Amino acid sequence: MNHFPHGWGRPRDDIYGPYDHTYLSHSQSSGPNQHTQQPAVTGTSVLAAKFKDGVVIAADNLASYGSLARFTDVKRLHKFGEHAILGIGGDVSDMQYISRILNELDIDENYGSTGNTLNAKNLHTYLSKVMYARRTKINPLWNAILVAGLDGVGRPFLSSVDLLGTTFSSPTLATGYGSYLAQPLLRKLAETEDEVANVTREKAEKAVREALKVLFYRDARSLDRFSIAVVTKQGIELMEDEQLEGQSWAFADRIKGYGTQVN
Amino acid sequence: MAFIHPSSLLPSSNPSYSFREGIKSSAPGIQEHRFSPYADNGGSTLGIAGKDFTIIAGDTRQSSGYSINTRYAPKVFRIGGDDDSGTGAKIILAVTGFAADGNALKERLDSMVKMYKYQHGKDISVKACAQRLATILYSKRFFPYYTQAILGGIDEEGVGALYSYDYVGSYEREQCRAVGAAASLIMPFLDNQVNLKNQYVPGSGVGHDLKAKAAEPLEQSHVEQLVRDAFSGAVERHIEVGDGLQMLIATKDGIREIYTPLKRD
Amino acid sequence: MANPMSIIGKNAVAIACDLRLGLQALTVSNDFPKIFQYGPDVFLGLTGLATDVQTVSDLFRYKVNLYRLREERDISPQTMANLVSTSLYEKRFGPFFVNPVVAGINRTTGEPFICGFDSIGCIDFAKDFIVSGTSADQLFGTCEALWQPDLEAEDLFETISQALLSAVDRDALAGWGAHVYIVEKDKVTKRLLKGRQD
Repeated sequence: MNHFPHGWGRPRDDIYGPYDHTYLSHSQSSGPNQHTQQPAVTGTSVLAAKFKDGVVIAADNLASYGSLARFTDVKRLHKFGEHAILGIGGDVSDMQYISRILNELDIDENYGSTGNTLNAKNLHTYLSKVMYARRTKINPLWNAILVAGLDGVGRPFLSSVDLLGTTFSSPTLATGYGSYLAQPLLRKLAETEDEVANVTREKAEKAVREALKVLFYRDARSLDRFSIAVVTKQGIELMEDEQLEGQSWAFADRIKGYGTQVN
Repeated sequence: MAFIHPSSLLPSSNPSYSFREGIKSSAPGIQEHRFSPYADNGGSTLGIAGKDFTIIAGDTRQSSGYSINTRYAPKVFRIGGDDDSGTGAKIILAVTGFAADGNALKERLDSMVKMYKYQHGKDISVKACAQRLATILYSKRFFPYYTQAILGGIDEEGVGALYSYDYVGSYEREQCRAVGAAASLIMPFLDNQVNLKNQYVPGSGVGHDLKAKAAEPLEQSHVEQLVRDAFSGAVERHIEVGDGLQMLIATKDGIREIYTPLKRD
Repeated sequence: MANPMSIIGKNAVAIACDLRLGLQALTVSNDFPKIFQYGPDVFLGLTGLATDVQTVSDLFRYKVNLYRLREERDISPQTMANLVSTSLYEKRFGPFFVNPVVAGINRTTGEPFICGFDSIGCIDFAKDFIVSGTSADQLFGTCEALWQPDLEAEDLFETISQALLSAVDRDALAGWGAHVYIVEKDKVTKRLLKGRQD
């Protein structure tokens, strides 16, 4: 009889031999568990604005590795069901993980008998809990995410969640550099939730495209090729290979080496 | 408290430092880059208990550093309502500090209050709910919810009840309490106007013989005005407070909400 | 060390301070006034490092005396403010650790005047009130809520007293009684407030 409670219920060493700790997954690499402490390949800002019948959301197609423009055709807007779409900034591998778990969720939901797909509001609630749970494990998904679409009763919905699980919503939203450069421009569309009723799709889309252009001028980790989506009751219109129109580099006319003046 | 780790994360997500903590510099030569699970989202709340009512109020700005995340993110919640909108709720919770922890705490307490009703067939008392909230906070003693909570409602005698908490669950029943970014601005005003501190009965004596005014229960309309005054003062002098004022008033008839705009600068 | 504050009223100003002197949490003295007079109606409040409070108050006594001898008139609060500002900025790279407050009434115009400074002389002109010291946050709260324009002298006294006492009662590093000066045209009233002794 082993008199030490530590040994009770465990395989007996004299019969099975001492426990082989190498079977524990975390001890395969020597040292402690490694968690994401900083992002590697990253996407920059995501912008979005509500209008009276829906939401516009946009993000450029660049994935940077530090200051290197590493991948120039990465799609950072992800559709979910018929009336929801999310734009993801931050770590790209974490983005792809999020995209995968949401696809699995979507497939699971479609097996249900009611035929109800999750709306944008449900998606945001789910995502915020995933993000908060991961930050609580000190193993965050290093992203800032905007969820756009329609809520349960068909009203425009726009909300955000970040790597800490912090959530907030507003008539217009922008992550990353966009929160400094684009959000002040977008706020002119609608300062309050009531003013959203006066915003048309055309006005919202134009404002988002203009804000994206300002970001391209001043955010060094941005690109002039982008994706933009419009969600309304009719569904999601997603354009994934847009080009910024009407750039003006007049403010940089004495600066050589980039923009239109190469030499 | 020493939870906040200022760290510049990536260009596209905000560094989550707190004004209160300032920026701590690490050892010279070595720059350690670490994930901090906390942020300070600013804002202030306050609560005042009356004879047959309790008012809990909070501003609706949510900020991070110098950026305003949104002008409308409620910090004051109905607890134990019948549906999403909180109808039928009798208890009010307000949380400042880290917004994500605040929401998590709210949802935990809300579901706990609902479970109580399903299991016992009656509403939980404010006193029991207050004790339970302390237990929830203490259960995370070594990885705390970075939130300062106040809880209010009507007690079993029909009197306004208000409880305030620290991060790890030590709590106390009080008449009034200001919490959050502008607590230091609002609390002395409340001492003076609710508990009538430093106020004396005129002509009741000279020097040491002066009689202190006794604090008496205030009228609800008077308390509402005090709350508005407290917040319009705080808005002037604290950058993290503003945008909107949300007041939840618990009486025997349930909870009523008043929203008034505050300065947005 | 705690707080002088000054507020403005109708043809009057008030300036007040608590009386505590402390070494962090240890109270050293409970009779340490921080308001100094530099003319019939010019006052200076000083918070900060006690040795600098005394040095700076003496320095201004010397400077204001020389001013009076040279000009053969009393210094106005506006001139006092500029004197404080330039004197502090002279020590830009080795400053006195004080946050001064000036309050007074201008003899020529009859207008009340208040202003505050940082430790290197940046002037903060205010139309309502100036606060300084360890309980600055609390004082901002109480003043912002209690102050209103055009207070008469007696109301001004009540307002500044309630604002100061309530504020220092929420600051462990301040309190232990207070001095209040009400400055009107041709009249100065000084009152001692008892306050909590804990």
